[in-house]
Amino acid sequence: MAVCTVYTTRSLNSTCSISTPSKTYLSSHQKQLVFSSTDKRTSRRGSSPWVINCSAGDSQTVVIGLAADSGCGKSTFMRRLTSVFGGAAEPPKGGNPDSNTLISDMTTVICLDDYHSLDRTGRKEKGVTALDPRANDFDLMYEQVKALKSGIAVQKPIYNHVTGLLDPAELIKPPKILVIEGLHPMFDERVRDLLDFSIYLDISNEVKFAWKIQRDMAERGHSLESIKASIEARKPDFDAYIDPQKQYADAVIEVLPTQLIPDDNEGKVLRVRLIMKEGVEHFSPVYLFDEGSTISWIPCGRKLTCSYPGIKFSYGPDSYFGNEVSILEMDGQFDRLDELIYVESHLSNLSTKFYGEVTQQMLKHADFPGSNNGTGFFQTIVGLKIRDLYEQITSTKTAAPLEATKA
Amino acid sequence: MATLRLHSLPAAREEIPTPPSSVSNPRVLLSPSFHCNKKRVSRRMAVTAMGGGGGAKYKGTQMREKQLTEMIEKKVTEAKQVCEGDETSDECKVAWDEVEEVSQAKADLRLRLEVEKKDPLESFCQENPETEECKVFED
Repeated sequence: MAVCTVYTTRSLNSTCSISTPSKTYLSSHQKQLVFSSTDKRTSRRGSSPWVINCSAGDSQTVVIGLAADSGCGKSTFMRRLTSVFGGAAEPPKGGNPDSNTLISDMTTVICLDDYHSLDRTGRKEKGVTALDPRANDFDLMYEQVKALKSGIAVQKPIYNHVTGLLDPAELIKPPKILVIEGLHPMFDERVRDLLDFSIYLDISNEVKFAWKIQRDMAERGHSLESIKASIEARKPDFDAYIDPQKQYADAVIEVLPTQLIPDDNEGKVLRVRLIMKEGVEHFSPVYLFDEGSTISWIPCGRKLTCSYPGIKFSYGPDSYFGNEVSILEMDGQFDRLDELIYVESHLSNLSTKFYGEVTQQMLKHADFPGSNNGTGFFQTIVGLKIRDLYEQITSTKTAAPLEATKA
Repeated sequence: MATLRLHSLPAAREEIPTPPSSVSNPRVLLSPSFHCNKKRVSRRMAVTAMGGGGGAKYKGTQMREKQLTEMIEKKVTEAKQVCEGDETSDECKVAWDEVEEVSQAKADLRLRLEVEKKDPLESFCQENPETEECKVFED
């Protein structure tokens, strides 16, 4: 892979540093300045030991924050997001196999658990959960996200979820798109200000319980009681430290039990709300039929037949924690391809590049969880929105040729 | 259009739940519904062919799976003990948080192996095939 083309800069007066990763590592403070002449078509191919980090006057790394309580980096949302940009995200090759980081051509996903200041033993001693801010080093998080955003590589610690220890650091090079995923992406104000876009995944208690049952029931140690106890015990810290972040998010994906099936408690059919903040730069909310109006829509009828329980949409303006928002809501399930494309064709401001792109993306990952309901649907749409945001922010043509060569 | 290759998994060693998902059965969108056997796990729609079953490939990963399983059991027992005294104590919260952490770690590993079909030690073992951890695990 031609490393430097990833870091092409807009302006010609860019300062670039050259490092040999095997010997010297760039810390967030070090920078070797080398002035180069204009044409930076250094296409170093193969496993060259040279890494050229270019930091432009105005940074090109777009930073996205994702708040989620479902582990790091392997989450479905991340996989959908990286897929929108092309390529699959993989853990860094040849590094610590317990690394939480995912890297694809355009994106790097960092797990914020890596910024734990206390490892599992330390937390036990101090009596704090991982949700507690006291277990996390926000200064380091801020420094490193800032560095990556300005095009400087960092040595980021690794928190090993298996051993519960902090492992030696790994080198993270500034990507085109940096996603920071975890419990506290919007907790610290300084980090918040670095985010170009932020998302909060808000799973209601009933759905969380249903999902954790599915996840854990087969484990020997677990029972309904233990799963329930675990959720309850973490709830105070979750409500105190994690939940308040949703007021800062540009988009919230709220997952609730369905209203289409009375007394459903299986958590299979879901009601998903995409709450989009108005007035966010480079982000135009998705709408149904008539922007700013209130709509209730059941697509199933004469033209489209759906099986039980069907699909129900609604859209409208609202207020959310004092912010003006637009909410697009989907309750129910997609059963067939034509339902998906039908719904897509009636939505506006999707930021698709061609008709049916959302459907195509969903099909590409039909085996991912949530592929037949609002979770997958809205996650895919948010992914496209982020792509749109990225292109607006960078407003360069470098993205297209890079994708073309990868195709 | 995605081409679908449907294949059933070899008999699962244990009842393995699907990763957290809103439906227990991933829907097949293109082909008419087909019937799978009772184990949810075997309904899988793979877009590309991947070799091997859904289990660990390398000994190191298999050991890690086992380790996580044992840790879950152990930590649940610990949490129950710790919380007997005071359910609202910090110790109780921390104990259940640990249970959550290892449960998620196990689920992530399962997801990698069952759905992505990639052993996390893959790239490490390409470079270091002679290590103990990289012995290929024969079922």
